[in-house]
Amino acid sequence: VAADPDSGVYPGVIACMAMTGLARDGSLGVNWAAVDMTAKAAPAAPIETFESNRPGMRIAVVCAIYLVIVVVANTLPLVTPNTFMPQVTLVNQGYQLVLWLIWLAVLVESMVRQPSSPLWKLVFAYMALAQLWTLRYVGNPVVWSIGWATYPIQIAALVHLIVAFPSGHLRGRLDRAVVGAYYAYLIGISIAMSLIVRNVDLCQPTCHEQVFAAFADDGLAEWAGRANVIPPLVLAPGIFISLWRHWRYANPAARQVLAPVAVALPIVTVATALEYIGRNFWIEEISAFFESPLQPIPQLVMPIAFLIGVTRLRLNRTRVADLVVEFGRGIPIGGLRDALAQALGDPTLELAFTAPSGDGNVDASGRAVELPADTVGRAVTPLEWDGELLGVLIHDPAIEADDPGLVEAVSSAARLAIENERLAAQVRAQLEEVRASRARIVEAGDTERRRIERDLHDGAQQRLVALALRLQLAKETAAGAASLLDEATAEVQTAIGEVRDLARGLHPPILTEAGLRAAITALAERTPVPVTVDVPARRYPSTIETTAYFVVAEILTNVVRHARATDISVIATEAEGRLLVTIRDNGRGGADETRGSGLRGLRDRLAAVGGTLNINSPHDDGTTVTAAIPFT
Amino acid sequence: MSEVARIRVALADDAALLRESLAAALAARSFDVVGQAADVPELLKIVERERPEVVVVDVRMPPTHTTEGLEAAREIRARHPGTAVLVLSQYIETQYAVDLVRDDPAGIGYLLKDRVARLSDLADAVRRVASGGTVIDPEVVALLLGRPRRHSPLDELTTRERQILGLMAEGLSNPAIADRLHVELKTIEGHVGIIFSKLGLGPSAEGHRRVLAVLAYLRR
Repeated sequence: VAADPDSGVYPGVIACMAMTGLARDGSLGVNWAAVDMTAKAAPAAPIETFESNRPGMRIAVVCAIYLVIVVVANTLPLVTPNTFMPQVTLVNQGYQLVLWLIWLAVLVESMVRQPSSPLWKLVFAYMALAQLWTLRYVGNPVVWSIGWATYPIQIAALVHLIVAFPSGHLRGRLDRAVVGAYYAYLIGISIAMSLIVRNVDLCQPTCHEQVFAAFADDGLAEWAGRANVIPPLVLAPGIFISLWRHWRYANPAARQVLAPVAVALPIVTVATALEYIGRNFWIEEISAFFESPLQPIPQLVMPIAFLIGVTRLRLNRTRVADLVVEFGRGIPIGGLRDALAQALGDPTLELAFTAPSGDGNVDASGRAVELPADTVGRAVTPLEWDGELLGVLIHDPAIEADDPGLVEAVSSAARLAIENERLAAQVRAQLEEVRASRARIVEAGDTERRRIERDLHDGAQQRLVALALRLQLAKETAAGAASLLDEATAEVQTAIGEVRDLARGLHPPILTEAGLRAAITALAERTPVPVTVDVPARRYPSTIETTAYFVVAEILTNVVRHARATDISVIATEAEGRLLVTIRDNGRGGADETRGSGLRGLRDRLAAVGGTLNINSPHDDGTTVTAAIPFT
Repeated sequence: MSEVARIRVALADDAALLRESLAAALAARSFDVVGQAADVPELLKIVERERPEVVVVDVRMPPTHTTEGLEAAREIRARHPGTAVLVLSQYIETQYAVDLVRDDPAGIGYLLKDRVARLSDLADAVRRVASGGTVIDPEVVALLLGRPRRHSPLDELTTRERQILGLMAEGLSNPAIADRLHVELKTIEGHVGIIFSKLGLGPSAEGHRRVLAVLAYLRR
C-alpha cells in the first residue's frame, strides 16, 4: 500500500492494517486481543508526536483512534441489539470488511503521500462519521435515535471529500458554497426530521419511538420524506460543476488523480438515483438488484476511485518538475497564469506584474490589478529577482500552509517565463500609453487649429472689417477723410502686427534659417524675465530643433506665468548622442504637472522623438526642467 | 526739390501687387524706379544694368521664402559697394538686423514691412540709406532696448536718454535726432556725451561706427 521509502512508515501501516483486520475478523465480533493491543498502543503515542515528522507514528496513532471508534461502534449493537439488527452473514460482513479496508487504505495512502495536506483528515472524518451508522442497531432508544438522526451527515462529509479532493482544501467561492450548502441542508434536515418523524419504515412492523420527535406529525413526516428528494437534485449539479472546474485547471498529472473520482461520481449518482426510484416506485427490476447480494457493489465505487486517485498522487514538488517541462515546450504569452494555477493547484491564482511606471500592478494584458486589502483568505507572494520586484502571486494561503516553499519553488522555476511575460505586459502597457499619446497629439493639433482660427477671426478679420467700414465712411464724408484714413491705416498696422505674431507663434522662421541658438536667443529677447542662453551654435536635424525650441518656448511661457522668477537660464549640452536642454529658474517652484495640457503636450512631443522630460520643482526653490532629445 | 536729381531705386518683391504698389508710391514721392524684380537673380541683373542708388528688397523671396533678401543684400553690397540697400522684413528679429549692418553700416537698412504703409516712413528710410545712413526699424530697437536685463548701466539712463539712445540705434545722426525731438543740436550732443559716459562707451564711436557700438551694446 505504502510505497514511500521513508523507513518508519511500514511498521505503522502494518500495525494499522493488522489491528483493523483483526478487529473486523470476519464478523461484527470484536477481537478483544486487538482491543487490548490498542489500549496498550494508544498511551504509548504521546500527543505531541501526533503532528510530528514521523509519518509512521502518526499513521499508527490515527489508525488506533479509528480502531477505537470502530470497536465502540460495532460493540454497542452486539451488546444491546435491537430487533432490526440485520442478519449477520458472511457476505455482508465480508463486504463491510472490504469496504472499510479500502477506506483505510485511502486514509493511509493520503497520510503517506500528502502528510501536510488536510486530505487525510477529511478521509478520517468521513470514515468516523460513517461509523455512526451502526448506532441504528443499538437497543437503547436514545442511542438508536442519535444514530438515526446523525446518519445523513456522513453524506456531507463525503461531498466535502469529493470537492476538496485531492488538495484537501476548498478553493474558491463555488467549492465553499457547494460544501457549505450540503452541510447546512443535511444537518438541517436531520434536526427537522428528528423533530417530526415518529417512526421509520425500516422498523416495520414493530417500531421504536423516535425519542427526539417532540413535534411528531405523521402526515408532515411523510410529506417531508417525499420533498426530501428535491434538495439533492438542486445541490448535486454543484458537485459536478466544481469537479469540472478542477478538471479544467488541472495539468495532466493532476487529471490522472482526478480521473477516477470524475468517473465514479456519475456512477454513484446514477446508482443512488436508481435505488431511490426502485424503492419508492417499486420497479421490480431495479429494486431486485438492490435486494440482491450485489447490492453493496455501487457503494464500493467511490472508495475504490479515491484509492486509485490517491495512489496516483505524487509529492507536490513533482509539480515543479511538470512546470519546468511545460516551460520547455513553451508557454504562449498570457498563458503563464494558467500554467502556474495548474502547478500550484489553485484555480483562483492571480499573477500581477509591477507596472512599467513602477506604480501599482498590471495583469498580462496590461490592465491594473488591485492587491487584496486584507490578507484573510488571500496570500500575496512577491516575485523578486536580484532585489527587483517583478510582480506578485495572489493565491490561496493554504498552498503555502500545505507545503511551505512550494510557491517559492514554482516561482523560481517560472522566473524566466515570469520575466518574459512581465516584459510583454510592460510592452502592452507602453503600447497603451502610445495609443493614448497619439490620441492626445491629434487632439492637440485640433485644439491648435481651433486657436489659430479664433485668433484670425477675433484679431485680423475684425480689424479688416473695421477697416472696410472706415473706408466706406471716408468715401461718404470727404471733409473728414484724412483723419478717417489715418485711423484706417492704424487699424491695418495692428492687423498686420497680429498676423505676424500669429505666424511667428506657429513656426519662427529664424529657427529654420539660423538654428536653435538664434531662435532661443530671439525667444529670450521676448521674455519679460532676464534669460541667460547657452546653446551650441551647431545645427541639428529640424525635428530636434523644433522639439527643443517648443520645449523652451512652453517652459518659458509657464515660468513667466506661474513661477514669479527673476532669473532664468536655458542651457543646452550634448551627452551620449542626446541634446539635453535644461531650463532653470529661481521662482517659487512647486510646479503642478497635472494642471494644464502644456506639459502633457510637451511629453507627447518629446516621446514622439524618443525624448524624455524631467521636472524637478521643490517648493520655494525654483524649477529645473530637463528635456533629453536623442539626435543621432 | 525739382532741381535735385531724383534718387534711382530698384525694387524686388515676389508679390506683384505689393511690388507695383511700392513702385507707384515711391514714384509719387519723386523717386525714380528704374526696375522691378520678382526674384534675386532678376534683381542682380537690374542692379548690374541700371546701377541704382538704392535697392529695396523684400526679405522673403523665392525659392524658400525665408531670408533670401538678406543674402541678396550682402551680394549686392559685395559687388557694388556704393549701392545702398533697404531690406523690408516681416520679421522682428534683432539678429537679422544686426547681422545685416554689422560689416558696413553705411547705406544699409532693415525696415519692417508694416512700415511701408506709412509712405513718409518708407521715403525717409530710402533717403537715409541713399545718403549713406543706417536704418534700423524702431520695433527692432524697441525689442533690443526692452529686453530684460539683470543689473545694467541702462538702468541709470533717464527716459530722455533712453529715447535718444533708441534713435541712435535706429541710425539717426545727431542733427536728425535734434530735428525729430524738436530740440537744439547742442542739447542732443550733451545728452549723447552723458549716455556714452554712463554706458562706458568710448568717444571713438562716432559717425557710422556709432550705430554699431550702440547695437552691440544693446545686444550684449
